[in-house]
Amino acid sequence: MKFILNYIRKDEWSPYVAGVLLGLVGIAAVWISNSLLGASGAFENVVGLIGKAIAPKAFDNMYFNFIMPPGITTNVILLVGIFFGSMIAAATSGTLKFRVNDDAQWKQVYGPQLWKRWLLLFIGGIILEYGAGIAGGCTSGLAISGGMLLDPAAFLFIAGMFASGIVTAMIIYGKRY
Amino acid sequence: MTTYIVSFALGIFFGFALNKAGLTKYHKIVNVFRFTDMAVLKFMMTALVVAMIGLYTLRGLGLVTFPAPPATYVVGNLVGGLIFGVGMAMAGFCPGTAAAGAGDGKLDYLIPGVLGFLTGAAIYGLTYQQVFPAISGIANYGNVVIPDLWNLSSFLTVTTFTLMSLLLFYLIDRMGWQRKEK
Repeated sequence: MKFILNYIRKDEWSPYVAGVLLGLVGIAAVWISNSLLGASGAFENVVGLIGKAIAPKAFDNMYFNFIMPPGITTNVILLVGIFFGSMIAAATSGTLKFRVNDDAQWKQVYGPQLWKRWLLLFIGGIILEYGAGIAGGCTSGLAISGGMLLDPAAFLFIAGMFASGIVTAMIIYGKRY
Repeated sequence: MTTYIVSFALGIFFGFALNKAGLTKYHKIVNVFRFTDMAVLKFMMTALVVAMIGLYTLRGLGLVTFPAPPATYVVGNLVGGLIFGVGMAMAGFCPGTAAAGAGDGKLDYLIPGVLGFLTGAAIYGLTYQQVFPAISGIANYGNVVIPDLWNLSSFLTVTTFTLMSLLLFYLIDRMGWQRKEK
């Protein structure tokens, strides 16, 4: 019992142990609520709400009316759950703290400027969400949720993601790759 | 209401796993693309193997029916993945790990990160008609899973995937298939 409690408090688990937990969550999603995990869809539901409030004409289209209707969907609730789940996990390992620019490797690669980090994360977010839209899901909703069902789409997505991820890292890291 | 509670609970455990696997950190994510830390791959493949075995067993026993799997349209899935990988290697997060990273206190993820995802979602939604119907029309197989599409035995497909994953774990952990950090 003590061993288990001590393990839970560890900052970083073996990826295999954490992976088993995620696998069980994936099973539970299908078994309990006949749903799949996902993350990128939540941002589309939320931006639909915002868009319809501030620019109703522009957001009155096929996509925001029928494909991804705006609202606080179960996807949004799931994403909020992820936020708090990670918060609880960080609290158990004593690493929960509001902070900025805390990654040493990031600073080595891009430099210490905070504006640069915020700009790159903002642009990264746009690229990620757009790619997820075209692919039909992100790492959670397509790679994990599709992959566990042996969905061909998931493996095509994973192949694309690794191919361009490796090339991008090579370009950014240059000689340090 | 119940569905909301279930989604929230699933999210809690999902976020907990992401955090403990270290995926809320920039270096953890980018280093899988540099082959210097394979934790992300081990985490994902373990989750796939566990969930796959569980779900196909439950389906075999007639205890669950699968929800519609994400649609397969070869070019779109691949091109979307290619775009996604650029963002992931550049920023070191993805939608789920950004939410998790914001939860453990990273204001970088909570503010510019979330704003970026929302902006991307808006741009996607506003250009959807021009982009998606065309790309998803190419080689579209609909909502299928590999054993049904190719008429393979589920048991053999899941077993093969599991053995391949175990082999990969063995090669990484025991045969040193991982690069040293410079």
